Amino acid sequence: MTDKNFDEALSGLEAGEESASGTEAPRGDSADASSHPSVAALRGRFGDAVLHHTIFAGDEHVVYVAPERVRELLQWLRDDDAQRYDMLIDLTAVDYGGGRPLEVVYQLWSTTEKRQLRLKATLPLTALEIDSAVPVWNSADWLEREVWDLFGIHFRGHPDLRRIMMPDNYAEGHPLRKDFPLRGRFSRAEQTRRSLEMAVEDFYTPDELTVAGGVVPVAATRARASGDATADDKAKGAPGAPDRPNDPESWTPGASGSAAGGAPGPEGASS
Amino acid sequence: MGVTERNMLPTLPGSGGEASILTTRLDAVVNWARTSSLWPMPFGTACCAIEMMASFATKYDMARFGMERMSFSPRQADMLICAGRLPYKMAPVLRRIWDQMPQPKWSISMGACASTGGVFDAYSMVQGIDTIIPVDIYVPGCPPRPEGLIYGILLLQEKIKGETLSNASLREEDAARTGRQNLPAEVIDQVSVPYGNSTTQNKVSGLVSTTAIARPADRRP
Repeated sequence: MTDKNFDEALSGLEAGEESASGTEAPRGDSADASSHPSVAALRGRFGDAVLHHTIFAGDEHVVYVAPERVRELLQWLRDDDAQRYDMLIDLTAVDYGGGRPLEVVYQLWSTTEKRQLRLKATLPLTALEIDSAVPVWNSADWLEREVWDLFGIHFRGHPDLRRIMMPDNYAEGHPLRKDFPLRGRFSRAEQTRRSLEMAVEDFYTPDELTVAGGVVPVAATRARASGDATADDKAKGAPGAPDRPNDPESWTPGASGSAAGGAPGPEGASS
Repeated sequence: MGVTERNMLPTLPGSGGEASILTTRLDAVVNWARTSSLWPMPFGTACCAIEMMASFATKYDMARFGMERMSFSPRQADMLICAGRLPYKMAPVLRRIWDQMPQPKWSISMGACASTGGVFDAYSMVQGIDTIIPVDIYVPGCPPRPEGLIYGILLLQEKIKGETLSNASLREEDAARTGRQNLPAEVIDQVSVPYGNSTTQNKVSGLVSTTAIARPADRRP
């Protein structure tokens, strides 16, 4: 990122969360697309879905793509004979603060072509949804869970979208968002109470800890363990099913005081 | 849960509180046995655990003090060493392990993070493990050197030598508190706001705290 962009990011951060400056990804090229064969090929094939191309740190090519077509692009990048990006090195997200859109970042590597490419899709805070990359690369599974857990971006079609870093009963939102208070939203006493409320065995069943046993139907395991009806919905990939109670929108100041101890449950989360 | 609900030792003539020649001699023998064979349950979560490993290795050789064997099973352990910061996600695990340890048992909080939360005054971190389990010895440092941990253990041994069987309350355990936090909610809030437990401890000990980077509005409610 250039110094100019960095300064813009800083000023936006200090302006607070209300000043939404630029909810669209930048358009037009700032770099020569011909310097990376995949970028030129992407432009030729997908046209408008490729919004912007820039080069970072000399040789790192970053392509901004339209979020609604990202699955299609990723599939093509993996399968096309000239591209062969067979490895998803990393999938993460960035929040620049100031109400600006979040960026989902895909870091790809082609083991045959020895080439790397970074894709970014920007999502406005009002519509944090994007297609899952799990059907393309299995390695996206836990990475997308992590992004959902910490940023609250919902991945459509993810087989098992639930928290991975934070405890399963975490109800304070998504901690890596810039509008998240550093010490969390609950008091320390409430955080302690909630953490000790967890039944450890429910979250680390022997089934779930099985690594060599192939695909473990985690959602089914959870449903059996907890008798939770929504877990079945999760297994079917129903949209909106994954842990909506944990969304920051569902958090309300009065819902869980340390004295009352009333945890914000699913009933308080109905949009 | 394996919690010892009452003192396993037989009632002694001096259990009313007065010390007799019999109980003091027996105290000396029992305490000698306890101090000389403290089996530690290592609960290493971070860099303090590296120093703890160094303490147990050949150069510092914790076996000199009766810790011949690390007890990786809480059922056979006498002393829990929490070496490193404790996230909230890990708190029920620590509490479970503490509950599984049989009496008599003691615990050492090793390092700044375990004792106060340290630099991790953040959403994910317990502000001192004494909010979760009772702590006998706090070892300061970030991380403490092996000498520091050894000094803490020697202090604990001194503490054990001062115990008496006639005071059954020392080893009593309330089964109703199994899996519960160690401190009441008000105390937890008191030690950890507004700047976290480490800052509170600095103030209590008379140190002038450096300015904490904190926005009071961050804390809702």
